[in-house]
Amino acid sequence: MDNVSHPFYDTLMALTQVSSNKCAGGFQKVFEHESSELRCKMKFAVYLPPKADTAKCPVMYWLSGLTCTEQNFITKAGSQLPAAEHGIIIVAPDTSPRGCNIEGEDENWDFGTGAGFYVDSTEDPWKTNYRMYSYVTTELPKLINANFPTDPDRMSISGHSMGGHGALICALKNPGKYKAVSAFAPICNPMQCPWGQKAFSGYLGSDRSTWEAYDATVLAAAYSGPQLDILIDQGRDDQFLTASQLLPDNLIAVCSEKKIPVVFRLQPGYDHSYFFIYSFMHDHIKHHAKYLNA
Amino acid sequence: MTFNCFQSETVTIRNRLQGKIAEMESFAGHLEEIFLTVEENFGRQEQHLEQHYNDVLQTLSQRYDERAAGLEEEKKGKLEALYNQLLACGQAMDASKELIETAQEVYRSQDKRLFLKEIDLTLATCLEFNTPLADLSDVKTMMDSINVVPAPSAPVINPQMPNSATQTSLRVCWSLFSDDTVEYYELYYRPVLEDMPADSTLPSPPVIKQRECTSCPEAALIRWESGNTNPVDSYTVELSEMGTDGTESSVTESIVAVPTCQCLIQLQTGRRYLISVRAVNIGGPSVRSEAITVSTTGTFFYLLEDSAHPCLSFSEDGFTIFYGDEELPISAMALGDNTFTRCVAVLGDLIPVRGRHYWEVEVDDGTEFRIGVAYEDTGRNSYLGANNTSWCMRHILTPSRHKYEFLHNGWSPDLRITVNPVRIGVALDYERGTLSFFNVDLEQHLHTFHCHFGNYVHPCFGMDNPGALTVHNGIEAPEYTFI
Repeated sequence: MDNVSHPFYDTLMALTQVSSNKCAGGFQKVFEHESSELRCKMKFAVYLPPKADTAKCPVMYWLSGLTCTEQNFITKAGSQLPAAEHGIIIVAPDTSPRGCNIEGEDENWDFGTGAGFYVDSTEDPWKTNYRMYSYVTTELPKLINANFPTDPDRMSISGHSMGGHGALICALKNPGKYKAVSAFAPICNPMQCPWGQKAFSGYLGSDRSTWEAYDATVLAAAYSGPQLDILIDQGRDDQFLTASQLLPDNLIAVCSEKKIPVVFRLQPGYDHSYFFIYSFMHDHIKHHAKYLNA
Repeated sequence: MTFNCFQSETVTIRNRLQGKIAEMESFAGHLEEIFLTVEENFGRQEQHLEQHYNDVLQTLSQRYDERAAGLEEEKKGKLEALYNQLLACGQAMDASKELIETAQEVYRSQDKRLFLKEIDLTLATCLEFNTPLADLSDVKTMMDSINVVPAPSAPVINPQMPNSATQTSLRVCWSLFSDDTVEYYELYYRPVLEDMPADSTLPSPPVIKQRECTSCPEAALIRWESGNTNPVDSYTVELSEMGTDGTESSVTESIVAVPTCQCLIQLQTGRRYLISVRAVNIGGPSVRSEAITVSTTGTFFYLLEDSAHPCLSFSEDGFTIFYGDEELPISAMALGDNTFTRCVAVLGDLIPVRGRHYWEVEVDDGTEFRIGVAYEDTGRNSYLGANNTSWCMRHILTPSRHKYEFLHNGWSPDLRITVNPVRIGVALDYERGTLSFFNVDLEQHLHTFHCHFGNYVHPCFGMDNPGALTVHNGIEAPEYTFI
């Protein structure tokens, strides 16, 4: 991968550094690039631990939730100290393409801008730009592996809320690609909740059979591949849990039946915010480190 | 043809016409007759029908009247009943209103017990008992006859003092323990021949208590029985390392002047050692005791059978416990101070060394278990995890699903586990203050307690329903257990 050099390829792989801050002994950086999948400029955050100075490191991909950009995670989640401790690079992309001038993209906080739902859209006017699934699973890893000291065989994925949904479906749809997976308050069964139904009908159309390919509960029922070990933390006082947007019980039921290992922790007093994520980030990175550093 | 012809024709025609007229008159008469008959018939029928319909109408009218009367009666009855109900309702409301007002009054009154004055509160049964006092004379007799004097300890003969002997006599002194009550002494003597070896004054070798020895990656705790009725000055512990081919190393390390019947020895990780003990007194050391093999791979301990709940039985090797579902007779529940009385549980031997320890427990899908650690003084009348002196992972079987709890002080986090662990790894880290549980088959982390252990702990194992549980120890901790 590092040897390939062609002017066109180089443009695709070109990154512009937007910011760099020393953090926890390593560096928290933000880059911008021209995305071929999303056909627009995209930013993403990368944390390079101290170990990256001298050795190749495994990579954890973090997918954020509705309304987030690449900034929320790096300023609020408290990921840098544990990432430095375990020598893991953390990549956090944005949550949707931006500045595409699509009509209606800014009308809702839960659809369009900031709400890509990590799918490849098949409906107009979204299908040209809203291809977050391919962006996260194909384009971004290629870009990261070409530009940073990574071990391309050691990738893992995690996320929050809509990003938790993204992490689960990426892992379930790509058996063996991610060495570890975990989620914070994920949307477990989007086909059955208002958020998911709104997004899927907009991005994928009215034929519900096309939605199944992006629903973690449906994918788990049909999963066959290397054994997973999924860690999920969920705040018990999460308003979206009460509002039946997250539906973790559906996923747990399917995983119990299909014997997919899950440890699901209901945390009393915690809500849906980054304060909740911050509180358990250390445990999740430790969970990822166990498999990435094995 | 003349006028006569015309006249006769006219007469003929006239006759014929007259005939016709007569016929017609007759015909008309007939018609009139028929008409009259029909008219009569119709009249009669009309009358008949009129009569008939009048009858029908009359009958109808009668029935209608009857029904109307019936309905009227019924309506009257219903209205009466409703009225009575209304009356009763009104009365009930009045009564309730009165009751509420009375209650409010009582509530408002200073002395809330006033209303009781009207109630008869005398007891049906007399307070005094009629059964006479027990006859305790037997007990007194039994108490008086107890002889509380224990047997004395062996006296210690003092070393021979200078100038205490003559050619024919010898002065022998001995000391006794102040706790003892002695009635008399018996002195024995026998001549010692010159060439008799002096080892009759040497102590006997101790006996190592195999099932009371524990080990861990950095140390081993050995316990033994003195093997001597006479007091011993000290013990010497000897150890030599065993090579991987089973041969004993020629180099032996000795630890001398061990004052009691146990010793904690620092060792190297991942080796095997042969350990034996000698008793030492003034005459010299005894021969070596029988050796035991100690391995410093993983942490190794036996279960403390005297702490086990009476319903538990043990396999021969001591590492599998069974909770049978036969009812034990009350006499079998002869409980010592150390046994669990409610929770069907047993403690493992103390882990008296700081650092990291790991062991595994094998269960089957249907066993409701409690696995963890506890302080030595954890309540034997209490359930593992229900107090602040024990921590455990608990498996509960409900009709619909498997439930897992991680209990300490009666509290557990709320978690779901989708694949039921049948081989559980327990990792204890005294330094970090953590106790972690893993599904060994999946290498999956389940939960970690964060707690500062103020004292050393015992592993503990319990079951809440009949079943079996096997402890596997002396296993090196897998890498993922101590990240």
